[in-house]
Order: sequence, then C-alpha cells, then structure tokens
Amino acid sequence: MRRRLAGVLISLAAAVPATAADLPAARLFVKPLLCVIDRETPGCSMTFDIRWKSEAAAEYCLNDSAQKAPLRCWPSLSSGTHTEKRDVTEAFIYWLGGPDGTQRVAEIRIEVLRLDSADRRRERRNRHVWDVL
Amino acid sequence: MKIAALLAVAALAHGQDAAPAGTAAAGSASAPPAAERHWRLGAAFGYGERSNPLIQSDDIPVIVDLDVAWFGKRWFFDNGDIGYTLADGPRSTTSMVARLNSDRIFFGKTDTRYVNITYLSGNATTPAPPLLAPVEVKPPDRDYAIELGVESLLDGDWGAATLRAYHDVSGTHGGFELAAYYSRRFTTGRFSLEPTLGVSYKSADLNDYYWGVHANEASAALLEYHAGAGFNLEGGLVANYYISRNLRLALSFNYERLADDIADSPLSEDDYVMAYFSGLAWTF
Repeated sequence: MRRRLAGVLISLAAAVPATAADLPAARLFVKPLLCVIDRETPGCSMTFDIRWKSEAAAEYCLNDSAQKAPLRCWPSLSSGTHTEKRDVTEAFIYWLGGPDGTQRVAEIRIEVLRLDSADRRRERRNRHVWDVL
Repeated sequence: MKIAALLAVAALAHGQDAAPAGTAAAGSASAPPAAERHWRLGAAFGYGERSNPLIQSDDIPVIVDLDVAWFGKRWFFDNGDIGYTLADGPRSTTSMVARLNSDRIFFGKTDTRYVNITYLSGNATTPAPPLLAPVEVKPPDRDYAIELGVESLLDGDWGAATLRAYHDVSGTHGGFELAAYYSRRFTTGRFSLEPTLGVSYKSADLNDYYWGVHANEASAALLEYHAGAGFNLEGGLVANYYISRNLRLALSFNYERLADDIADSPLSEDDYVMAYFSGLAWTF
C-alpha cells in the first residue's frame, strides 16, 4: 500500500510541468551600474546593456523592481541579451526569473549616487591641512 | 568692528528666514532624500602636498585625507569644526562655528639653520668679513588659536557660496578673519568638476601674530617685522570620477596668493600656498 502510494506520488511529480522553482541557476550582467545625479542633473539618461546566461535552457523573464510586468521573456533559452534606454532618478533592481514572477535566480542593483544634499552643511569646505578634497 | 562684521555676515546671508535646520535644500531640481545618516565617514588614500610658505620648513605631505563628520538637527562636527546651526532656510544656512586657526599648521615642521651674516661693504670688490659666529635662525613657535564665528552657506541655480567671519576667542592672536568663497559643481555622467574662488581678509593682529617677527624673536638674521592686515586670494579645482557609489578617483588642486604683508615677512619664503592631491577616496 505504502509502496503504491509512493509510486503514484513519483508519477504525479514527473507529470507536473517545470515551475519557477525549478529554474536553473543563471547569471545576470548589466552595464552601466551607477547613475550620478546632482542639483543640475536630476536624472541620468542611460542605455543598459543586459545579458544573462544560465546552466540550462528554460523560460526566463527579465524584470525590474519598478514595475510588475516583465520587460522581456525568452522561451526555452540558456542565454539572452536586451538593451533598454531609460531615465533613472532612483535606484532599482533588474532581476531574472520565471514567467510567473515568483522566483529570482539573479539580480543586479542599479545604484543612484546623489551628490547634493538636503543638508547644505554637508557641503561646507574646511581649511585644515589634511582636507584637500 | 569685529562684532559688526560677524552680524553682517549672518544678516547678509539670511535676511528674514529662520526655519529649523535640516529641512529641504531649495532650488534643487528634485528633492533629495529626506533621511540622511548623521555620520559621514570617509578616507582618501593617495599622494599630495601642501606647500609651506614658512622659511626653513618642509612642505606638508598628504597621504591620507580622513573625513569624519556628524550632523545633527542643529549641532554638527565637521573634521574638527564644531557648529551650531542658528537658522536654515530655503536659500541659506547660518551656523555658529568654533574652529582652530589654519595658519598654525605651517609652524609644525620647522628646522633650525645657522647662517653667516656679512656686512655689505661700500666697495663691491672687497669681500665682506664674516661675523664672529654663525647666527641661529629658527622660525618662532606659534600657538593654535581657537576661533569662533558665524558661517553662512548659500546655494541656488547660480552655484554655492560661503561667507565666514571668525574671531579669536582664545586670546592667542586677538584678531579676526572674514572670508567669502564661491563654487559651482558641474556633473556629467560619472564625472564631477568643482572650481572654487575665494577671498579672505585677515586682520593685522592675526597676521602679525603668525607672520610678524616680534621684538624678542628678532636677530641679525631675522629682522623685526610687523605684518598688517591684508587679503588672501584663492582658487581651486576638485575633480571626482565615481567608480561606484562608495569609491571615487579624486584629484584636487588649490592655490592661495598670500597677502603682501604676509609675503613680505622675513618668515615667508613664498607668497603662495599650493596644495594638490590625487588618490582614491572611499565614503562609508
């Protein structure tokens, strides 16, 4: 009885199509990674070159943390490239996952460095000998 | 005169506004994040020098440039300066600041030398006889002065300006300094460039304490000298290339033309102070 139940479970598992949890590991490469903004340049107009590569072919989708819908999906491939132009004002994450959006197999954060400050005292200059910057 | 100068700086910078410190910076094209960490810690490693206009003194090497600062709502500590913000408005921030005088640093790396003094004879072809013994020439010691003053920071689409008025409160030199600086930062991609121009007026008491040769210090090789007030002029350039959010390649150059009364002092061998640095800077 116990043996029969185990056999049924194994056959059921084999019949279930590959889910997001089964996605093979992948690596994501994005350039550039940094946006520098300032009082006079409040945003960066950037062109992102995005590449990914996985250990095995599967359906992968490229997402970003700013929106719910995937930017692009690739059916049953082990690598892909994508180019995207966008204006950046805040940090966000590109991530690679399955079509259902439940699993992230790789992610990269696009950083935003703000040079100006809400507190202008942080931009005061000193006259000390060691302060040369 | 001195108190009036301090008040004038504050009034000029502020006019009517007096909002709590730490509110928004005005004129910015987009509002910066509201929450910034109190601490700012950083270190730059590289090589640079600050020239030393004092006779018989070495230039000051700069291998490490540490940045340690803490900013509260009103109190702040910025690399040795201690400040209390009096008013913060959309266009300016005015603080009371205590600092150490910067002229003292030049008196930290001095050497003693011995020179032979010769009389100028009326006949140029006749060698002048030396004095009996070489005369010791040693730059005099000077103390640090604690200065208290008012500092206003202004900014807008036109750039940023700093107005400062400081007075000695430690009884060291008894003088005062007024200064104004203008800078503007240009940012493109990962590169930023910030030129600065400045002028400072140092009182006779301040200049004479540091750069005068006082009666008890005078000798045949170091004649008595009294320095008067004067203007120092300054220009500088800082360039940064941001490799990552925390790491940047930094270059800086600064040139300060000393007031005539400082440059003419027997204690000065240069009429300028030049500083440069290049290195990698990390902000934590």
